[in-house]
Amino acid sequence: MSKNTNPAGQQLLLVIVSLVSLFLVTGCPGRGTNTTPEPTPSANGPTAKEAPGPAPSAILAGRTLHSPPGLTAKGEDAAKAVAAFIDWAGASLPEEQEDGRKALVAARDNADIVKAFTQEIANAQRSDHSRALLALALLGEMKSPAAEEFLRSFVNQPFPESGTRTEEGEILEQTALATLQAKAIDGLAYLHSKSADEEVLSQVQRHPSIIVRSEAISAYLWNQTNKDVGRRTLSQFVRKDEQRYLDQITRQAGERAASFNPKLEAYLKAHPEVIAPAPEGQRQDYGKPDQTTNPGAPPKF
Amino acid sequence: MKNYQTKTCCVVLMLFCLSFTVFGVCNQTTSSQSERDLWNQHACWQDFFLWQFRAYDVREGNWNNRGYFDACNVNLEYPKHWNAAYLITYKLNDNNDQSWHGTIDYRAAAEAAGGNFHNHIFHLAIDDTSVFGRFTPPDQVKTSCLLYDNNTAGANNNPASRAGDFIHEGWHAWNARWGYNGGGGSCGHFNGPNGACSMSPCGCDYFYFHPVSVYVFGAMWENNGTASRFHSPTQVQVEFLCDVADQSTAPASVKVGARSDANARSAARFINGPGYRCGDPRPW
Repeated sequence: MSKNTNPAGQQLLLVIVSLVSLFLVTGCPGRGTNTTPEPTPSANGPTAKEAPGPAPSAILAGRTLHSPPGLTAKGEDAAKAVAAFIDWAGASLPEEQEDGRKALVAARDNADIVKAFTQEIANAQRSDHSRALLALALLGEMKSPAAEEFLRSFVNQPFPESGTRTEEGEILEQTALATLQAKAIDGLAYLHSKSADEEVLSQVQRHPSIIVRSEAISAYLWNQTNKDVGRRTLSQFVRKDEQRYLDQITRQAGERAASFNPKLEAYLKAHPEVIAPAPEGQRQDYGKPDQTTNPGAPPKF
Repeated sequence: MKNYQTKTCCVVLMLFCLSFTVFGVCNQTTSSQSERDLWNQHACWQDFFLWQFRAYDVREGNWNNRGYFDACNVNLEYPKHWNAAYLITYKLNDNNDQSWHGTIDYRAAAEAAGGNFHNHIFHLAIDDTSVFGRFTPPDQVKTSCLLYDNNTAGANNNPASRAGDFIHEGWHAWNARWGYNGGGGSCGHFNGPNGACSMSPCGCDYFYFHPVSVYVFGAMWENNGTASRFHSPTQVQVEFLCDVADQSTAPASVKVGARSDANARSAARFINGPGYRCGDPRPW
């Protein structure tokens, strides 16, 4: 037997064996399947390539608070300053929110900073929804007239009619854009110029997404000094079947039960139709002995 | 020469197939800003994930090509999974006079152990991008690439939305535990569009409005067979997201995303909606 007998056949065999082996080992073609084979509980825990570090409490204790990066740069440096500010703001803690707000307001008249925010938003919209949302929030908080044109343009970006559809019917591209446009609406309503208010009212009526229309209703009303007048104005724009959104019950950050609960009671009294029917199904306790081992309390923070 | 070409072909094929093994189908090359902001608060706390894989019953056989053995790589799925669990476990304020519910409630809904919230469940990652997550009776809580990939078209690939989905899917298990059918629609909810819910063909729930402080912490599971003491899966998700937004020490990017997700769901997914609005509309 010669080693070189029928080399083409040997090569074909090698390819076939390689393919079969790989498919068996890796499950290469198994994309998108709904059938999930049930793995057994793991005895061995996950591992990391890095050495363990300090506990989070030590990390947080070592952090310098209340020192947002400056937003005073001009020209080309403005882009770096804004990028650093967004990084800081994203990681900031609740007690640092006012520090960020002050820095943003102080930069209100810096057109280069405003422009740099708009460029960050445009870039992040394509690559990182969470950064785009955060940057839109920060730009809106500046309350800068220089941002109005951008925000107006943003809320008028064409709304996709199709895209990646979930089985519930949500189109991902629609929700992604609508949530960003809702944040841009917050900025326009907060700016509270005549033209910005007109844009918000227009979106209350005509935006294709209820996510944006609902936000526009809340944001417009919240920013009006005279709520009664604002409500009357709004009611001319709110769609007939969405009048209830005018009264949507809101829990403010830090609001206590004594403040919130009477508001809820009044809402339910004004809108008895929102009281849900009895849940479907027959209440039964199907409890059975729990076979799992509870690992106990999580590690101390 | 031919032999060389054949070997090259085999190597290319091997690498192609291995790429699915190493990276799964979800794209595991990046992470979002909010992912990293939360991650940097713990900088990969190994004691936590060594507890978390048991608490969530995360199984090596399902997660081994998704970062189970590279658990400090924030671009991979398992690290993102435990990052979301970290949010649930440590970041809520638990203010009984202000929060909808407490950490004890959200943990019990999301974690594996059986009890009043549900019978035992375990967590799987799936590549089916037609859902964010799915509860497959009797015990599988599945979360998909849409909650992990940073380069998908969606808005939900962040730790707050992912954690919210753990609780949502866990609440389908609560439905099963207590004998409720969740609406009888094709996806475990009511069909739509229906009332103020614009989802079509399904994904609609009722909102069972309740005041603050009427559920003591640990009692979210309670129900009396009527609408007066009951929660739907999307409602517990919204309440959790709202507590992250307004009642937590999470980083700002996580809170902004949580508020956005809560308000979007409140506006679009409830038959008797809108549900609660979460926080005022000040931009930041």
